[in-house]
Amino acid sequence: MMRSAANRLFCLALLLMVVPVAACGTPVIRSLSTAEPGAGEVFTVSLAVEGMTLGGVVETLPDGYTFAGTDHPDDRVLVRGQRVAFAVTNETSITYSVQAPASGSGDIIGTWEDFIAESHGEIPPSRVAVDGIDVPGAGDPSPADARAGSPCTALIAVAGLLLVAYRGGRR
Amino acid sequence: MNRHLLLAVALLLIAGTASAAGIPGDADGNGVLDQPEYTAAVLAYLVGEGDLTRTDIQDAAWVLARWDGRPLEITDSSGQTLTLSRPLRRVVTFTGESLETLRSLGFAMEKVVAVDKYSHEKSTFFPECGGKANVGSIWSPDMERVLTLRPDAVFLYATISTAACDEIQQKLDASSPGIRVLRFDCFKPATYPGEIRTIAAATGCEDRGDEFARFYTSVMDGIRAGTADVPDDEKTRVYFEYWADYKTFASGSGYNEKLEIAGGYNPFAGESAEYPEIDPEAVIVSNPEVVVKLTGQKLAAGGYVGHDVAALEATQSAILERPGWTRLAAVADDRVYVIHSDILGGAQHFIGTAYLAKWFYPERFADLDPNAVHQRYLTEFQGLDFNLASEGAFVYP
Repeated sequence: MMRSAANRLFCLALLLMVVPVAACGTPVIRSLSTAEPGAGEVFTVSLAVEGMTLGGVVETLPDGYTFAGTDHPDDRVLVRGQRVAFAVTNETSITYSVQAPASGSGDIIGTWEDFIAESHGEIPPSRVAVDGIDVPGAGDPSPADARAGSPCTALIAVAGLLLVAYRGGRR
Repeated sequence: MNRHLLLAVALLLIAGTASAAGIPGDADGNGVLDQPEYTAAVLAYLVGEGDLTRTDIQDAAWVLARWDGRPLEITDSSGQTLTLSRPLRRVVTFTGESLETLRSLGFAMEKVVAVDKYSHEKSTFFPECGGKANVGSIWSPDMERVLTLRPDAVFLYATISTAACDEIQQKLDASSPGIRVLRFDCFKPATYPGEIRTIAAATGCEDRGDEFARFYTSVMDGIRAGTADVPDDEKTRVYFEYWADYKTFASGSGYNEKLEIAGGYNPFAGESAEYPEIDPEAVIVSNPEVVVKLTGQKLAAGGYVGHDVAALEATQSAILERPGWTRLAAVADDRVYVIHSDILGGAQHFIGTAYLAKWFYPERFADLDPNAVHQRYLTEFQGLDFNLASEGAFVYP
């Protein structure tokens, strides 16, 4: 009984610590029509953009995945290799298409910049794997990218450590 | 100062001052940043092409969003017209009044990279300035430091200490023409509302500037309206004394302007000197209905440091003990007041003017609460955690 109450308290504490951390997040949220496209399938990536008057987004596709078009105006898109740059002018959403390779997996990673608010950050990575077959290490961000974790990741880590320390102290 | 060193610093920095250049991203160089130019610059930046930095792109976005892609032309209080092609990011202020006004407007204080030595010393009122560079005073400016800081704008007075300010401007124009020299007084009722809006436009703080200008104007216009119908021969007769005993002011001085707005009549307004010394007997003969004594600076009593009301009380007591003053109407009616220059001489003059109006016409201004005006200013516009009930001393009684 006591253990159950303690667990509930632990969950509540975790929730209270995570919610504010999540709320400090990115103004750009990515969603995929599927994270497990078939070989050669074209799937859709949607970016929900919040409160960005003038800004930019750069998406980097995993190796083998190719940009296949967007609803964003042509003159506000620039493709360079695996990178796709979007100039944002008050848009609240950007949708683009990606063609999956015959096989392979990896993360779609992205960065955003709000030029008016003078802030920038990373969009959390989205894992994609052809037919759901995830090849460990394939298409993952480079070590340099991995090092550059977002502030929220660090906050979550600190929150977790504090919680563990607190629970340890209670025992 | 070592002239050669100053010259070397200037030569090194001439090319580095951003505000002199055009709008970043204006590819065709026609002086206007249009949407296609901006977008092309952004996309090139995002993929790591082109030579524009993040700050360049942020400035381009600012110009497009706030100035419709065009340079902003402003006319300062000295009458000079300046063109800004980018937002101000590195500001040096040689006047506490412009510094205070920037803070009223919500200008990011981290963009103020250096302040004058007096503001630097005011750790209670400008707590954020203690760590900033100190560029001295307008009479003894540290020009080498100013240039080394690579400011894009320097604030100077417009109509006072003009010789000293002109000299600073000439040195800046000669050594680093990219630095914009903005000249505003920020203490004169006649020009302050316009200055608020002009500085707000130059710094992109238009909304806040409008809000602050409305607050300021509501106080000052309320005072003007409250005294507008007082006939000249019924105006409250006031002897206003400067820090030095028997030194007052005549028409043309900033203090006299505030006294007249508050509906006061200055019997010494016609003196030839702007700040004349008056024969003690003449004060008695004028028989003022109200006496106001100024403290601060050369008469250190009160102000933002401490809560020394007793010092103001002592100042009043000393006045009351002057030979022959018991005969004055002001003394007989308990209308001898002490006011600190912090709330009458600078950007806060509207607070002091509200006190004057209240003292001159207590019935007309029964609803005016200068202390509440002061507190709102400090809390809402200066962003200070300063409680007038327990901190500072500005008026007595």
